[in-house]
Amino acid sequence: MPEKKVTIDIGDGAAIPTKKDRGLLSAWRLAFFGAVGALLYLILFHPDPYLRLLKFLPDGILITFQVTFSSIALALVVGLITGLGRISRNATINLIASTYVEVVRGIPLLVQLFYIYYALGQFVRVPDMLAAILAMSFCYGAYMGEVFRAGIESIDRGQREASFSLGFNRTQTMFYVILPQALRTILPPVGNEFIALLKDTSLVSILAVSDLLRRGREFASESFLYFETYTMVAIIYLIITLILSKIVGIMEERMGGHGRH
Amino acid sequence: MADTDPIIRIRNISKFFGQLRALDNVSLDIFSGEKVVIIGPSGSGKSTLLRTINQLETVDAGSIVVDGQDLTDKTANINKIRMELGMVFQSFNLFHHKTVLHNLTLAPIKLKNIPREEAEKNAIRLLEKVGIAEKRNCYPAQLSGGQQQRVAIARALAMNPKIMLFDEPTSALDPEMIGEVLDVMVNLAKEGMTMVVVTHEMGFAREVGDRVVFMDEGKIIETGPPEHFFQSPEHPRLRKFLDQIL
Repeated sequence: MPEKKVTIDIGDGAAIPTKKDRGLLSAWRLAFFGAVGALLYLILFHPDPYLRLLKFLPDGILITFQVTFSSIALALVVGLITGLGRISRNATINLIASTYVEVVRGIPLLVQLFYIYYALGQFVRVPDMLAAILAMSFCYGAYMGEVFRAGIESIDRGQREASFSLGFNRTQTMFYVILPQALRTILPPVGNEFIALLKDTSLVSILAVSDLLRRGREFASESFLYFETYTMVAIIYLIITLILSKIVGIMEERMGGHGRH
Repeated sequence: MADTDPIIRIRNISKFFGQLRALDNVSLDIFSGEKVVIIGPSGSGKSTLLRTINQLETVDAGSIVVDGQDLTDKTANINKIRMELGMVFQSFNLFHHKTVLHNLTLAPIKLKNIPREEAEKNAIRLLEKVGIAEKRNCYPAQLSGGQQQRVAIARALAMNPKIMLFDEPTSALDPEMIGEVLDVMVNLAKEGMTMVVVTHEMGFAREVGDRVVFMDEGKIIETGPPEHFFQSPEHPRLRKFLDQIL
């Protein structure tokens, strides 16, 4: 039948486990249990400084999550608007959306963060955290826009025609017929972006936001235990992203239901 | 045939795909209750002609008037006119994310503000009519091609259209499923629905068609009642076409 399964692969996040990885010895398991094992080993056999570190870092983990979730929520909204703009038949809207994507893709995230942070500072006094969230969303909104565009374009033309033939206009067709189907197609890449974004939030530590990495730096600069600190920070990032990639994998499987394939 | 104005009046329409002239100065009147079957070799413009009637294809010249409304007029509310025109596609095009029942109720609920309960009752009645009510909670991918196409017909009927357009409704089906879809169409014809059908099913054309239209190279070559059409075709190109497929 004309419906084909379309996957959009944008590989800058963590690998999302698939059915193929179900074996006892999968990359995911190896990484996850390795990380958990290392963590346990360190806090049990070297409680000083690792247990102290583990008590010091959770505030930072919380901030990392706050920045991640706020940014992804905002980036999804920006991405939807950008994606719709990129497929718009209105040449002006199309050009604006495309230019936004081009500009964002052409500037390193770290530079964008600095730029937006200080540019905002020129006009208004914005809390550091908010500035960081705005900057992350601005950047990821563009990537998200490309994901939405690809998802929408992957839906068979017949769906649109069937909707039109019933009397739906373009907007209704988009929201009742195309987007609900596109959302399934784009779930894996969105999950990927989500994980990539979580990792990239480590960059906001330069903006005086006390995320996981910055908390680590604070600890290290007082204790001079740089190696130990960054070992711990790396393990915690790894465990978080691996858990998230698992969750995305499970969601993907659930949403792929309805016996479509 | 009714003496009144035609329900569809196509006048001198032309359509280009780049250099290709898909429709070349085509005119056709279709009257209320009439069943018109359009046949012709692939690439003859028959599907394009059908798709201009609900403006899935726009035309480059000429006019199309459906139920008194000129579709080529820029101010015409095409979405409103499309509600009067049910369409069935070769590839079914059921909404993959909706169950069978919700495929039928989506448009009536959203476009006609029919209460959900009433829309579902009507949907089940239509599903019974096409013999597939027991599958109402399935998703399209769980159905066979023939079942999907019957659901697609019911979905179009759920908007209570005045005219039904069929674009090669059996061409994507396995042979053993063609019959079940044609049966539904024959019953619909008996109820007096105005139907325009693009098909390669000559048996259906003969049984159901009031008029058969033969197209080739974007033009209507010959039009006539099926008896005359199949027994004494006048145009050599039609004779050649019939020789090839019968």
